[in-house]
Amino acid sequence: MLDAWLDTVTLSRLQFALTAIFHMLWPVLTTGMGIYLVIVEALWLKTRNITYYHHARFWTKLYLLNFGIGVATGLPMAFQFGLNWAPFSEAVGDLFGTLLGFEGTMAFMLEASFLGIMVFGWERVPPLVHFVATICVAIGANLSTFWILSANSWLQTPAGGMFTNGKFIVQDYFQAIGNPFTLNSFLHMFLATLETALFVIGGISAWYLLKKRDTEFFSRSFKLVLVALIAVAPLQIFLGHLSAEQVYHYQPTKLAAMEALWETVPAHTPADWSILALPSNKLEKNTWELKVPGVLSYLLELKSTLDAPIQGLKEWSPNDRPKMVGMVYYSFRIMIAIGTFFAALMGLTVWRWWRGKLAPELINENKWLLLSWLFAGPLGYIAVECGWIVRCVGRQPWIVYGELRTVESASDLPPGVILFSLSGLMLMYAIFFVMTLYFGKKIIQKGPDLTLPVPRMVVPSDSAQHIPDQRPAETGQF
Amino acid sequence: MQPLEPLQHFLPQVWFFILGLFLFLYVLLDGFDLGVGILSLTAQGEKRRSILMTSLGNVWDANETWLVLMGGSLFGAFPLAYATILHALYLPLVLMVVGLILRAVSFEFRENAENKMIWNITFGVGSFLAALGQGFALGTVFEGIKVDELGHFVGGTWDWLTWHSVLVALTLIQGYVLIGSTYLILKTTGELQKNHYRTATIATWTTLVGAIFITVTTPILWDHARDLLFTPPLIYIFALIPLLGLALIVGLFRSLKLQQEAAPLVYTFLIFSLSFIGLGFLIFPKIIPPSVTIYQAAAAPSSLVFMLTFVGFLIPIVLGYNIYNYFVFRGKIVTESH
Repeated sequence: MLDAWLDTVTLSRLQFALTAIFHMLWPVLTTGMGIYLVIVEALWLKTRNITYYHHARFWTKLYLLNFGIGVATGLPMAFQFGLNWAPFSEAVGDLFGTLLGFEGTMAFMLEASFLGIMVFGWERVPPLVHFVATICVAIGANLSTFWILSANSWLQTPAGGMFTNGKFIVQDYFQAIGNPFTLNSFLHMFLATLETALFVIGGISAWYLLKKRDTEFFSRSFKLVLVALIAVAPLQIFLGHLSAEQVYHYQPTKLAAMEALWETVPAHTPADWSILALPSNKLEKNTWELKVPGVLSYLLELKSTLDAPIQGLKEWSPNDRPKMVGMVYYSFRIMIAIGTFFAALMGLTVWRWWRGKLAPELINENKWLLLSWLFAGPLGYIAVECGWIVRCVGRQPWIVYGELRTVESASDLPPGVILFSLSGLMLMYAIFFVMTLYFGKKIIQKGPDLTLPVPRMVVPSDSAQHIPDQRPAETGQF
Repeated sequence: MQPLEPLQHFLPQVWFFILGLFLFLYVLLDGFDLGVGILSLTAQGEKRRSILMTSLGNVWDANETWLVLMGGSLFGAFPLAYATILHALYLPLVLMVVGLILRAVSFEFRENAENKMIWNITFGVGSFLAALGQGFALGTVFEGIKVDELGHFVGGTWDWLTWHSVLVALTLIQGYVLIGSTYLILKTTGELQKNHYRTATIATWTTLVGAIFITVTTPILWDHARDLLFTPPLIYIFALIPLLGLALIVGLFRSLKLQQEAAPLVYTFLIFSLSFIGLGFLIFPKIIPPSVTIYQAAAAPSSLVFMLTFVGFLIPIVLGYNIYNYFVFRGKIVTESH
């Protein structure tokens, strides 16, 4: 048993999975929050209502905390392909490396360079320049999402060239970048980061409202979040549906694992959908399941019977299908449950608003509703992680679906060396996770600074004068 | 000669140059960053450490991005080199990444923490580890990486650790401390500035000793370097580089003695540039020294052209807004009392 865990491929996979899962926690918030910050700053510039300025300053604090840790934990992601997956890097480098290179040049650089002005530049650059910086940071983060999703989608539906002697030769870059999965996957992830950030902001606002602290201030952010979610939450369910349909068409083994479907469902028959099941890899069946008749046919084709068969896992030899069926199956269901809950909570809250129950003086009478928002705050993270587990564990045993196997792609490193880096990284990530929660809590408990004056740059004065470097001046020079 | 042949030579050379530029900018910019971090371990008192960290607050992540940029471009332009080099340097690069992570989180956590001591230490230690990992990587590049005829790594896990690479690593750390000190001379005033005139002077001496050592031992120890160095026309260039280097070091000592503010940083930049050019000549056209050339490791010409189209026009933009960023935050770090 222990030997199975100590082989190079398993350890490299484990290291990749754990670093990816942990890293995701930070950028998933900042990517969505960047857009929120653009909206708040636009409202500030348009209305000149100082409360929006205070909103921008307050949420930027949380943004910055998460951004820094996101950059830090992302570094191993950038290097891991070469460190642990050298044969893979060499085989697909012409394309995959190009896409990751674009992520660095176009996206990450834009974000990281303008962050300085966005965070420290309020007093040093004109309002419009600051606004442009905020927009660039948001664009940079979302461009990152695009390039990462394009690269990952290519692993799922490799297009734009062919493998010759184990090396991928690109024939058409635009076809590879715009492979069948890219657009839907990007939009699904784009909305996922936005929805996660909106529910985090909504959840934090709900906490203040429950505590009756700064009610006026936080009922504003609460409503901003709500307005955005009216569009985002239902659209996300729709895009999720489109993505699942694509999996059905392009990755039959993954769909079979997502549904824990062992036997093929023939064409022109209704397919049942199971809510819960206990899949057993050994027996090649579900030892127990709770099914709703005919629902899967509706989910996939909006019809009572199917036009084409859905292939069950037994169609492939055990070596050609995902092994962790239960993990894929439950991750998928958890994601769906959270997405549905989000849409329902949004709908309910909008209804209360429409009935006039969310006026600042009444808002904290909706105790159960605010508690639900507090509960919803961290759920977006879980949904995103589950989605990625479905996406990447469901792709196994392939690293490039149908073309290149994961076992053939790992660097030949001594297991002890990987165990060393793996345990080091895990220890650090676990500490950072706890510290982010701790410092995030401190920022929230401290609350917004409503006495912060309008930045000097808004009221043009003797601006030709040299402004000394005056960042968070916490100490005296001597 | 086939019609594509000039292109197949030209494109890898262009990408070698671009990667060199990224690496150079990284070493210069994150170099002073890391140097300030290492110096913070010796800073007396919380106030001084605060100033040190404030001087980096708005630039550290932009500086670090050049490394991410270089990693991504190496992956895209020379996949074989990316795979082999990272595989061969697993442990030093993990060390570097761990160091950079520690450093980056220290910024955010320290900002919010009441007990800043622990994050001060992780910041300094992280900077040191990152520089150490980079130094070992550089040392290994001098020594060469063992590969088979396909260019795949065949050496051992600890190949990178030799007495020579230890000395290269220590020299690089000294170089970072030097550039960090001269940066702080520019950004600070008073006692703190005086202190960094001192650290800069010490670091100039230690870096000089290390540099002389590397210059002398490289041709003695490594055949491939010796063959390259003592063949005209390179021998003239290599004769020129140490001479110019000595002249710059004399200039640096002078400007430190005269307590000039910007000149020490400029001299240090020039010294770094010169060493970098020397290293470039020593390596070109190899990308996995001593045996694999850029032509063998390059991606397909279509990939190189495609990347060049996009990255090529972005480089001036990226450089432009980086310069703007430094311009916005120019001047000394001062406090409210000023």
